Order: sequence, then C-alpha cells, then structure tokens
Amino acid sequence: MLFNEIYGCYYNTVAKILSSAVKRNLTSDEMKQIICDNAFSESFLTIIPALVNEQWQLLNPELNTPLKHEPTMPLTMLQKRWLKAISLDTHIKLFPVSFDFLDGIEPLFTTEDYVVFDRYNDGDPYEDESYIQNFHLILDAIHRKKKVRIQYESKKGNHRTILCAPYQLEYSEKDDKFRLLISGCRFADTINMGRIKECEIINESTALCIVPKQKNSEFFIMELVDERNALERIMLHFAHFKKEAERISENSYRVKIYYDSDDETELIIRILSFGPFIKVTEPESFVNLIKERLIMQKSCQLK
Amino acid sequence: MAYTELVKNFECIRSYMREFYVYGFKSRDEYEKKSTRTYDNERRRIESYLGDYMAFRQTQNGKNVFLSIDSRNTVHNPLYKALKSKSFTDGDITLHFILFDILHSADIALTLNKITDKIDKEYLSCFKNPMIFDESTVRKKLKEYIMLGMISSNKQGKQMVYSRNESTDLASWNDALKFFSEAGLNGVIGSFLLDKTDKGHEHFSFKHHYITYALESEILCELLKAVSEKRIVTIKNYTRRSDNDKIWDVLPLKIFISVQNGRRYLLGYNFPLHEIKSYRLDFITDVKIGDISPRFCELREKLSEMQEHMWGVYCNKRHTSLEHVEFTVHAGDNEEHIYRRLNREKRCGTVERIDKHTCRFMADVYDTSEMIPWIRTFICRITTMNFSNRTIENQFKRDIEDMYLLYGVGGEE
Repeated sequence: MLFNEIYGCYYNTVAKILSSAVKRNLTSDEMKQIICDNAFSESFLTIIPALVNEQWQLLNPELNTPLKHEPTMPLTMLQKRWLKAISLDTHIKLFPVSFDFLDGIEPLFTTEDYVVFDRYNDGDPYEDESYIQNFHLILDAIHRKKKVRIQYESKKGNHRTILCAPYQLEYSEKDDKFRLLISGCRFADTINMGRIKECEIINESTALCIVPKQKNSEFFIMELVDERNALERIMLHFAHFKKEAERISENSYRVKIYYDSDDETELIIRILSFGPFIKVTEPESFVNLIKERLIMQKSCQLK
Repeated sequence: MAYTELVKNFECIRSYMREFYVYGFKSRDEYEKKSTRTYDNERRRIESYLGDYMAFRQTQNGKNVFLSIDSRNTVHNPLYKALKSKSFTDGDITLHFILFDILHSADIALTLNKITDKIDKEYLSCFKNPMIFDESTVRKKLKEYIMLGMISSNKQGKQMVYSRNESTDLASWNDALKFFSEAGLNGVIGSFLLDKTDKGHEHFSFKHHYITYALESEILCELLKAVSEKRIVTIKNYTRRSDNDKIWDVLPLKIFISVQNGRRYLLGYNFPLHEIKSYRLDFITDVKIGDISPRFCELREKLSEMQEHMWGVYCNKRHTSLEHVEFTVHAGDNEEHIYRRLNREKRCGTVERIDKHTCRFMADVYDTSEMIPWIRTFICRITTMNFSNRTIENQFKRDIEDMYLLYGVGGEE
C-alpha cells in the first residue's frame, strides 16, 4: 500500500537522527533541529521521548545508537514501478537519466492507462532534438547560475536575441508547455521554451541579477449561487489559486481569487465558462472586461 | 483514545483536508458527519502537517478554518505531507532500523535464526529493558519487506536466507523527480523518493496545478495496479444523491484526468449495470482488488472507440444516437488566434473556415452538456448555434440572457 510508515515522515526523520548518531556524537539540540526541519510541527512531542526513553530502542539516553551504519533503505517495488512508468513518459527525454536498473520491472502504468482529456493540443515538442538540447542547456545554466544568450521567436514572429539570467522553468499542465522565467532583461521576464531557436551559456554569473517576478498580485471578487452543483464545480475549478471564500446567505457565496496580471484574459474566459452562476463584483475594471464581452455578444444577435 | 499526530487510516483526514482546501468557509458546527472531537483532532493534525498554510477567519457562524495554498508559488505539493503520516508500533520502527543495519549490504545473507540472535545480542542488549522479538515477529516483518520488494529470500542448502535488495543511487534523478513528483501521475511516490535525496535548489514551478489530486493518491495507485493486471475491483463510491456509499464491482479500464476542472475519473465497466461508466476518484473511498477479467482488452477497445465522441467522461451506451453540436464564431481582422484556439482546444470534432471572419465548429458527442462550459468561453463572438439537443441549446441561450441581466447589459440590472 502507498500509505505506509516506511515512506512516512517519522521514519525519514528518525533515519536522519540515527545517521547523525552513527557519524558523530549526536546532541539534543541537533536532534531537535532535525525534527524541526523534517517532521511535522508537533512531532518533537512524540519522537524525542520515544527515542530517549527507549520506547523505540534505537538510541540510549546518552544519544548513542547500537546501529553501526548510516540508515539506508532499498527502493520498494512500488517506487521502481513508478520510476519505470515515468521512464515511458514523453517528458522524460528532458532529463538525462539512466533506466538500466529498471530492466524487467513492470511499469505501474503506461501512457495507454490514462488520458488527459482536456489538455490543449499544441504542447511543446518533447520529441524534438533541438528542443531537448535547449532544455538541457538551460537547465544546466540554471544549476550553474550562469547567464544565457537566447535567440527566440516572438509572438509576432520576429526573431530576437537577448542576454538574460534564467532562474526557473514553469510548467503548465493545461498547456503542456514550459515557460522559462528570466531576470535581467528589459524586454521580457518569461519566454516560452517552444519559441527558443538557439541558446548558449555565457560565462557570467547570475548571482546578483535575479529578481523573481512578483506573482499573483491582482485579485477579483465573485459571488456565486449554488445551483446545478455550481459551488462544487467552481471551487474545484479555481482550487489551484490562492483564495478566500465565505458564505453570504443560505446558498450564495463570495470568493476572492488572487491571480497574476498576465493571466487576466484567461481568467475572464474561465469565468465566462460558468455562465450566469458567477457574478464578478470587484474590481470595476475586471467587471467592465466581462461587460465588454457581453455587449459584443449581444451585438452578434444570436437567435 | 488519546490524540496522536499519526493516523492508521488516511480516509478520515482526506475528507477534512479537501474541505479545508477546496471550500474553506465551513465552521466547526457544519461538519455534521463527525463528532466535534473528531473535528478538533483532524484540525489539529492538519495544522501540525500544514501549519504554514493554515488560515482562520472569524464569522458570525464561528471560526472558519481553511488552507490557503497558491499552487503556483509552491514547488512541492504540501498535501503530500498527509500521506506521510501513517502510524506504526514501537516494535515496527525499532525492527525496521535494526533489520536494515544488520542487512546493510546486498552481499549479506543471513538466516532468520542468525538475524534474531543478532537483534538480541548486538542491538537490544544495551538497553535497560530490552524489547523481545521472537522469530515469528521477525519472520513476519521480513515477509512484509519481501512483499514490498526491499528484501529477498533465497534457499541456501536447507535453510532460507534473507538479504536486502541492491540500493540505487538516484542523485542524477533529482530534476526528474522534482518534475514528475508534481506533474506525473501518482507523483507522491516521487515525493517519497525526493525525501531520500539532497533537496538542492528548486528549478521548477507549476501552473494550472491541481494539488488536491494528492488526496486521491492511494485510491489511484490501487486502480493503476488493477489496470496493469487487468483485474476487477470492488469500489466504495460516495454519491451526492444518496446518504449511503455504493459498492460496485467494476473492471477499471482507464483513468481520465482533467487539467481544467480539478477532477479525475475512473472509466470502468460496471458489471451489475452492464455498461462503461465514470467514477470520480475523489468520490471513491475504498478499492479492493479482485480477479483477473478476460474481457479487459475487448472493453478497453470499446472505450477507445467511444473516446472519439467523448468531450469529457460521459459515454452512456443507452444513448441511441449521438448529439450534433455546431456553432460559428466571428473573428476580426487581427484575430487569427481564434481559429488557432478552436483547433488547440477542441477534443473531438472539426473546425472549418467559412469565410475570412467566420469559423465553424462541429462535433457529434454523447453529451452536449459537457461542451457547454467550453462554448461559453467564446461568448462575445458566437454568431449561430445548432444543437440537435434543443433543450440544451435553449438553456444556453437563456443563460446568456441571464448574464446580460446579471451585468446590466442592454437592460436593467
């Protein structure tokens, strides 16, 4: 079963404590720090007494352990089957890993066993050699904190070359695309990986020029009426945003959603998809964007 | 029973986490199904696991607890923590670390007798009141680890010897694990692996990322095992229409994942009902794996054929005919992206240009209503529509009229 103590946070934390005890003299403060860093916020109330009172006979009160080696654990079959499954995924070519140790292992699933039925059809070309090469190079640059020179095609089809400090790759599950988050460039703070034509690492450190982009600084407020199961659909649909929800009457609710200004158009479309079950009330500028679309729709004279 | 941070069964905490994360407006008194003590314990556990994300709001109805997580700014799914909270006994943890210390390398192969002897003499004798593990307890634990694939047993002469399986260095997998633990199916397993590696820097972030999927991990894992072995399962399924959970014998065929609405489904053949049906994973509360079915390939093939006319997950064979859906949209001079959008977002059907400014979408589907949210996203440019299901077409048009009223467009608000 997946819900098993061997994968649990207590076993991992105790392994780290014992590892320290095997290597050198473990101190009480160090033990507390390991628990604080690795376990849940109240775990120290259980782990410390269990270890020092010999309830778990792995440490004595002087914090010495009878173990002779730092604790390690072989992979479980479930872990191997999962690794085998991801080795069959189209995205795996983005990562230079070896699967030799998985020979003869049955995958937990194959691409035949599931379908993402509402993913957009124009995802990044994960089989394309130059895309894979660019991805490897950029990931390497991020690891080594190096600047890159990138030649890419803009949305309007123009070719541009920029020098920038890449710091993160953002993956959208809906678009099946990666976007590169960059800093230190006047023209852009993100570039779609699929638009990159060429790139090279420049031997210049990025250490001083990374200023991560502020995300989700905007918000809108909507009111919704729980009809035709709208509440459940809406709350799940917007679940991945930071939000605050409150009930305002028997079956109506007010929800505040925080979003990134770059995603405003997408948000408007998503709100429209719920039809009359959502009414955006604030801010006025956002309400007006929806009104504009409705006015345009009215002019289409749909009968 | 006294409060403990760890739990034996994940199901109870699963429903509370979902409520706190997805909804987050209920007060303590509104959790009707369980006692207030259960509520207090589960809330305390969740606070212990996810304290950084826990938020509170005082309302007229009492204090509301909710989880405030922006998945775009979170590189590791915090809900995975709850899947690392399984309880165990004092003996379990003691034996675990001692066994793997005795069998610290794959070259070491020892008999049960020798292992038990070492546990007593080399590990527990230094404690004031040493635990006693008899051979049957040690054998049981070894058997458990053989089942998990961590230990192997082999006959050496007349005796059975035990050794650990080879360890694998996953250092080079760090980036892959970070990506697939979030974007891959059953990513929590990747998170278990990451717990054993050096975390390093975070180079990936995720957008449109439904982290609640974590809460279905155990159910999904059992279903995937059943699919890979073509086995029937007995599922316990919650339905909104009934107070009682339903129990069904189902042959799982495929998992359907939405990256737009936060739901995942099992598509499986329901034996009592003789049809392929969909079941939301977040509504399945238990899975028991049963016998192999000889009909798996035939039924999966049937599902694949049906997929050509499925917009979402609806594939009811009782529908004698498919429903035709057709609509046209207007695209202005600089709106070539509308044509691209139709092509990019369609899941079945066809898109054609009628003239420079008009595109038509057509499809034949099992259920028109599944398409409605998508068609609404083109509000502002829908010029004609023609659904064979007139009831839904009329409802669509009424909904647009309601939206005009709601926003005071072309009349009084």
